[in-house]
Amino acid sequence: MSIAHVLPVPLAAIDVKSPTGAAWEFLVLFLVVIVGPPVLERARLPGIIGLLVGGYVIGPHGLNLIGAGNATVPELGQIGLLYLMFVAGVELDLALLRVHRREVIMFGLITFLVPMALGSTIGFALNWSTPAALLLGSLVASHTLLVYPAVRNAGLSTHPAVATAVGATVITDTASLIVLAAVSGSQLVGGSAVTIGLQIAFGLVVLVVFSLMVLPRLVRLAFRVLGTDRIVRYLLAIASFLAAATLAAMVGIEGLVGAFFAGLGLNRLVPNEGPLMERIDFFGSAVFIPIFLVSVGMLLQPSVMVEGETLKLAGLFILASLGGKVIAAAASKRPLHASFDEAALMVGLTVPQAAATLAATVIGFNIGLFDQSVVNAVLVLILVSIVAATLITDRYKRRVAVPQVDALALGKRVLVALEDPDQAQIGFTIGARVAAPDSGVIRALLGCRPTEKRVREASLVELQRVGFAVGVDVDPKLLVDASLAEGIINVAAEQEPSFVLVGQRSASAHPAFGGSGEAVAAAITSPVAILIGEAARISEVVLFDRGDGHVTNGQRRAGLAAELAARIGGKGVTVRRPGDAQSFHDLAAGQLWIAGADSGEVLAASDPPEGAALMLVLDPPPRGARADLDLIGL
Amino acid sequence: MSEPVSGAKLSPTGAIRGVVAAWAISVLLGALLLVGCGDRTTSPAAGEFTPRTRGVLTVATTDIPTPGFWTGTPEHVTGGLEYELARDLAQRFGLKSVSVRIVHFHRIVGGDLGGADLALDLITPTAQREQVLDFSDPYLDGAPTLVVRNGTSVADLATARTLRWGAVRATTFVSIINTLVDPDTPARIYDNTSEMLAGLEARSVDAVLLDMPFAVATANESQGRLQAVAQLPGSETIAAALPKGSGNVEAVDSAMRAFTADGTIEHLLRTWIGPQAADAEKSIPLIRSTR
Repeated sequence: MSIAHVLPVPLAAIDVKSPTGAAWEFLVLFLVVIVGPPVLERARLPGIIGLLVGGYVIGPHGLNLIGAGNATVPELGQIGLLYLMFVAGVELDLALLRVHRREVIMFGLITFLVPMALGSTIGFALNWSTPAALLLGSLVASHTLLVYPAVRNAGLSTHPAVATAVGATVITDTASLIVLAAVSGSQLVGGSAVTIGLQIAFGLVVLVVFSLMVLPRLVRLAFRVLGTDRIVRYLLAIASFLAAATLAAMVGIEGLVGAFFAGLGLNRLVPNEGPLMERIDFFGSAVFIPIFLVSVGMLLQPSVMVEGETLKLAGLFILASLGGKVIAAAASKRPLHASFDEAALMVGLTVPQAAATLAATVIGFNIGLFDQSVVNAVLVLILVSIVAATLITDRYKRRVAVPQVDALALGKRVLVALEDPDQAQIGFTIGARVAAPDSGVIRALLGCRPTEKRVREASLVELQRVGFAVGVDVDPKLLVDASLAEGIINVAAEQEPSFVLVGQRSASAHPAFGGSGEAVAAAITSPVAILIGEAARISEVVLFDRGDGHVTNGQRRAGLAAELAARIGGKGVTVRRPGDAQSFHDLAAGQLWIAGADSGEVLAASDPPEGAALMLVLDPPPRGARADLDLIGL
Repeated sequence: MSEPVSGAKLSPTGAIRGVVAAWAISVLLGALLLVGCGDRTTSPAAGEFTPRTRGVLTVATTDIPTPGFWTGTPEHVTGGLEYELARDLAQRFGLKSVSVRIVHFHRIVGGDLGGADLALDLITPTAQREQVLDFSDPYLDGAPTLVVRNGTSVADLATARTLRWGAVRATTFVSIINTLVDPDTPARIYDNTSEMLAGLEARSVDAVLLDMPFAVATANESQGRLQAVAQLPGSETIAAALPKGSGNVEAVDSAMRAFTADGTIEHLLRTWIGPQAADAEKSIPLIRSTR
């Protein structure tokens, strides 16, 4: 007897259907994204595994809540994959790559070639076709910086061994994606090796030109013209990788290669600690990347995973990947002058297999090179590699000495503190140029006395607009403090800026010495400069160099001023020395005068002429000296 | 005295461009060299196919000819999307020939392929069918599409309800007609598609449902007598059916994915159904339903 027969007639007429439709599918999907990672993390396993397992649970091989015929989740997963590769390109620290270039290239080559050779050899030994064997080699040769956040949090991000491993990711992932492009091209384009080669070479040239040359310029322009709205800036980033992925597909290259190159192209426009990167990270972490991982989990078939064939494959993949990465680190130890602990830490960083590995595997599966058992074996490899990396990193990060904090590059974290919003244009322009070579981020403060809070709040919007107009992704904050200097010192203690620019509109309002800037310089270890005056644009940078080689903290202050001048003015910096016919008083509109703060001429100066600006580079206190705030007395 | 200061340091992007370009070119050349030495056929990495008859791919289907999908006669098949797909499968698996067996549709979806390795017969995987068959990854998909005699207008679901409907026994369309369209008169059930289309032309029924590619092919073949007038919400996938527990599923899956990715399916669709098949989803009006 059915329930309808025992219910009163009106209740029996109520129709309750099984849940179906897009809302139900997305509900299931997001429940997995919400619940999966924490459950696995409670079991001390990486959260990523929770998404994969959750995908299996709701997928066609599990509870079949999202069936095999569903196209929405796999399509969203594809977007998630592109997003993942874009983020990988954007997040790479190119400045570190520059600093440790030689080590990065050497280690990158070794840590790619050894697993690549091992993986390909295993593929050939299994009688796989050449494309399948090469793809296996490339997927075990790549790595994902999954445990890097833990290493960064341990204060090791600037350690040479860590920087080398991080930089090597550029080499391994790019090389892996190129092998993927060649392999998938051979399957999709067809024809002779020459035809395929020409097609892929053409595709890569088009992609590199578009992603690394055209796209950054287009996006920079769009940021200036359209980018006053944060949503628009985010959408421009999304549109960028979608455009690169579309272009890649048009020229016969996998879309994810395009997305990765788009990330590299926008790397300097989207600083890692900036607000736009936060939004990219937020949406990626909340929606796109989890959905990709869930869609991969839907491919999981535990019955296949525990089959002897799958476990045999997984064992061989683990041997090629983990073995290859260990051999690479061991081989690099002596040439890199690394200790055992540092080499072990490099192993921990380069062992995790996730993004590029999954990407290559999914592509291999989609183009019919790999079957279900290979996918499942790769998922076992990913699981083992992540667990092994977590254990290795946890053990060895404590044994490696934390490098000195002062290794932070000059433009990495620029703090622009202004008293007057009218200085925003030149302040942000200077900040942007100082930060650019280090892919740095700019943080802005507008000084405000407690009684002026309401009035000053309105200026923040204008400050933000000006920032966007000069191409700076800035989220200005009010610094409410009776003493601007004290406020800046507190913020500096918290944010550890690499360079502080303190703006004061007029030298007469506060004396350049004995004012906020000097007080800040006396109290913090970061380089500080005072900006006086305002200019709508910087047409010429003039460096006043006494040439006396004055040394502070092992760094010539004149050297710091020259470095700032080079960053701000590029090749067109003019150097003047004491006794030159033209002096500070002859500054013209559009000129920025940069000088060490004890320059006699500058000391004697008052405000710069209208439309010109003056930047005084101050001495940081001796290393290790403590700020004596009681002496500031502002 | 004025003098230029040396320019800004080499930018990180500039540095990486040189490194990546040199490395990329060498990796690409190496990979291409090796890939060029390989072939496009399957390998154990993509699953292995073992035919029932050595060197022969045996395929089951219901009707020959079926417009666009099987042309010629059961004794002498001359082409069609599914026949050419079978030939491509055979080539990928390294088999020399394709043998075709005619098996009733209700037998196929009941799990009896008549001794064939697989069936290619516009079969939609369903939970019920998956109890007795294994299915490959889909090679086509499309909305259920209304085919009517030329001149019959079907503007909305209310009009569709007034028509006399026909469907082939054991197909998913029987259920769609009953639940989604809910016609005023019960649908007439036929044993196969040929009989049903003959019934449509003979005015025994007014409308039938077909998978979109087949609907387009049928309309093309009819030389204007029939037309695909509307599509219903939802999409049906079409896949190869294999005997339950077949060890060949992985190999056929990989092949279908490969054929989809490399454009083989698209090419077959354009060749045998016509260029309009690719745009049918956009050009055929959708009848909306709240059910």
